Formats: sequence, structure tokens, C-alpha cells
Amino acid sequence: MGSQIGVFVFVEQGIVMRVFILSWEYPPRIIGGLARHVEGLSGALATQGNEVHVITLDFPGTPYEEHEGSLYIHRVPVGVPAPSFHSWVLLFNHFFEKRAGQLAHEFGAPDVIHIHDWLTVPAGVAAKHLLRSPLVMTFHSTEGSRSSNSPSAESAMVEGLEWWGSFEAARVIAVSGWMRSEVLTRLKTPGEKVDQIPNAVEPLKFDGPVDMKGARAKLGVKEGQKMIIAVGRLTPQKGFDDLIRAYPAIRRAIPESRLVVVGDGHMRAELESIAEQEHVRDGTTFAGFISDDNLVAALRSSDVVVVPSRFEPFGIVALEAMAAGVPLVVSRVGGLAEIVEDSVDGIEVEPNNPSAIAAATVRILSDSELAARLRAKGEEKAKLYSWESVAKRTLGVYHDATRGSRYE
Amino acid sequence: MSEAPKVLLSTLMVLGAQSPEKALTIEEFATKLGIGVDELRPELDRLTRAGYAVTTRQEGKEKVYLTGTGVITASSAYS
Repeated sequence: MGSQIGVFVFVEQGIVMRVFILSWEYPPRIIGGLARHVEGLSGALATQGNEVHVITLDFPGTPYEEHEGSLYIHRVPVGVPAPSFHSWVLLFNHFFEKRAGQLAHEFGAPDVIHIHDWLTVPAGVAAKHLLRSPLVMTFHSTEGSRSSNSPSAESAMVEGLEWWGSFEAARVIAVSGWMRSEVLTRLKTPGEKVDQIPNAVEPLKFDGPVDMKGARAKLGVKEGQKMIIAVGRLTPQKGFDDLIRAYPAIRRAIPESRLVVVGDGHMRAELESIAEQEHVRDGTTFAGFISDDNLVAALRSSDVVVVPSRFEPFGIVALEAMAAGVPLVVSRVGGLAEIVEDSVDGIEVEPNNPSAIAAATVRILSDSELAARLRAKGEEKAKLYSWESVAKRTLGVYHDATRGSRYE
Repeated sequence: MSEAPKVLLSTLMVLGAQSPEKALTIEEFATKLGIGVDELRPELDRLTRAGYAVTTRQEGKEKVYLTGTGVITASSAYS
């Protein structure tokens, strides 16, 4: 609990909390949905009057410290070189722990420490015991499902950290029903300890004027062409190879079309090579990473968003597509299957099935009434997922965590 | 990105080379990777062309560091 009696009283009345959120990514360091989640949650918690400190990694060209209202961003440089990724993670945790200690001296101990995935478990657990503050852990993914049960030593370490974090946490949050079931099954976490709180989307981001013609031109989409877009890290789990393999059939049905792949990652060269093999390289744009503003413009300018993932604990891009008013094709996996209601606010297809992706995409692109219906229902659905609501529910979990005072 | 650039990006990130002040000399980088400068050079050229890394000349020495895109791409291999 917080070291100041005043803060304690406020907490008991549900008015304000001091929260330390530990996350390896925070914008502009956006690796995946975790950065979006921490940004949305921390902003909404601060707007609701809580004092929020996000401890995260430094990023080129970004200030170490930022402060707006009661939201503080602390970007920590890692001052010691490491020999490998996994040892680097352990090292940066030491620097996070040090920053948490400094902040506790400066502002007072936090009422809650909130960690996200395995990457900040060591710092979170250490801070919990040193500062005697309860720990909350959110699972956005698990190593076993992400790595398809890899038997590597690195995966064993990550899975061990996941278990340790879930054990030390007073409360655990899963971002979808699928994720909750993974935590219960893989980590044997007691069900009564695990809450399900989804990701969300900021609808205001998708309002306002957008230069659609300019956005399409930037992505190589000519006037009159249908724009098919996919957004995410270029990794095997995202299934972009299936979408590229689907594109020849889509292009045969809709010759005036262009496939736009937004994002980067270690599969980029392989995906470009698949596009060559499938003879669709000339009709495909690999846009790389683009800014948030450009992403909003790109989504809003597109005719269909395809999320062909093989594994997706949540799938925040599906919500963003709905908020942007664009019809969706998604794989029936994980959290995506929970967000999208098939043929109501999107079309679901089996994963690993380029033919099914092609058929669903062509259906949307060639049936304007269907596209309009999916678009309207999707916009309604997106409104149900607000950061304000996520923050209120997360605050409830924080209160549960403090009531148990389980820091020992 | 093939396996080789993935290792290159990851190595630069975990060594902390993500600003001009923390840039590694090409020789240091090659030594850390256990390869020769000649072997490193074409891979490095691919990284800089893709915008993942920047080479710079400091005190007469050629050095390299990651860009923001390089940091994100390096991290995405593990997420």
C-alpha cells in the first residue's frame, strides 16, 4: 500500500491511486498490442485522477522523462551491454527496479505495481517485496502458445517467469477469454484470481478529416483500385504469407485491387519472396512501419482489412478496423473470434487457409451492401471497447489487489 | 529479414548501440558477432538501406547504431 496515509484513505474511497506500470514497450516504441494497451490504460487511469507512472525502455529520439497531468512516463536506458536477448531482458529489469525505487522515494510507494507479460516479471516481483505493494499482472500472450510449445531453454525461462509472475501477483488480468483459459490451463492459476479485461480503441483517433486520396497514393494505390490492407508485425503468427498466397485469386476476381502490408519484422524478405513466387509482387505494397496518423489514414482509406493470424490472443487491429469503419476478414482464432461475430460485424475464416481468405475478401469487395452492413455493425461494436471502461475495470482489480494486501 | 540480419539487429540492441553516442565501431561489431569485417559489410549495407541502422564517422572511425525502426524490428522477433 502507499506509504502516505492520505493516499491510503483516498484508495479506500476509490478516489485515487498511485500506480507503477512496468512495460517494455510504450509509444513510440510499439512492438505489438501491448504498447497500445499500456498507452490507452495509463492515459485513461490518469484522466480519472490516478497518479500513473509508466516505467519503460528508452527509444531513439525520445525524451527519458515526459509528464502530462498525473501521467508520468519514465524511459529507462539500459546501461550495461548484454550477450543475448534473454539476458538483456533480465538486465533491463534491474534498471526498471532501480527506477521504481527512485520513484517510490520521490513520490511515495505505489498502491499497486502492474506488470505486462513475462518481460517485466523480475522487476515487478522485486518491487512488490521491496516496496510492500501488491502486484497485478496482465497477460497479453503466453510463450507456449506464441512459440508453439518450443522446447528451447529460452522458452523454458520465459514460461518460468510467466508462472512466477502469476504466482506473485495478487490479481491476474487476461485480455480475452481465450487468454484467460490459457493462463488457467498452462500456468494453473486459480480461476478466482484471474479477471478478463479486453483491449480497447480510442474512437476519437478515427474521427476527423483524412486525406484519403493522399493516403492511398502514398501506399501505391491508384484511383479506382480496391485497397486490401493487413497490419502487424511480419512474423509467422500473423499469417501474412497466407494472405499473399490468397491474393492471386483475389486479383483474378477483382483485377483493380492492391494489397498493402503495413508493418515490419523478420519475415519481410520471405514475404516479398512469396509475393514474387505468386506473381503478385507488382500488386503488393510493403509499407514498413508507418506513423500512427498515417496508419489511421491508411485504415480509413482501405476497402477491407484482413487479419489472417494463426495465433492472436486479442487482435487490437480488428477493433481499430471497426472503429475506422472498414469491413473485416479475420481468422477464427483466439481473441479475434471473440471480438468478431461472423457475418454480422466481420467475416471469420479458418486459419491457414488462403482459399477461404480469398473467398471472404472477394465477397466483401464485390458486395457493397454486405460491406456497408459489416461496416455499420463494426462501428457499433468498437464503441463498446473504450479505454475509459477498461481503466474503470482495471481500477476495480487494483482495489481487489490492495484489499488482499498480498505482498508477502 | 533472414536469420543473419535478425542476429545483427538483436546484437546491436542488446549491446545498447541505439544512438550516435553509443555506436559501435564496425570492427567492434564484427568481433562481437565473431565474423570478419568483410563478411559483415554486405549485411550491414542491407540494414542501412532498409533503414534499420545508421553508419556514421566519428573521430576517423566508422561506427554503427540502430534506428528506432531497427529497435522495433529487432524486438518484434521476440514478441
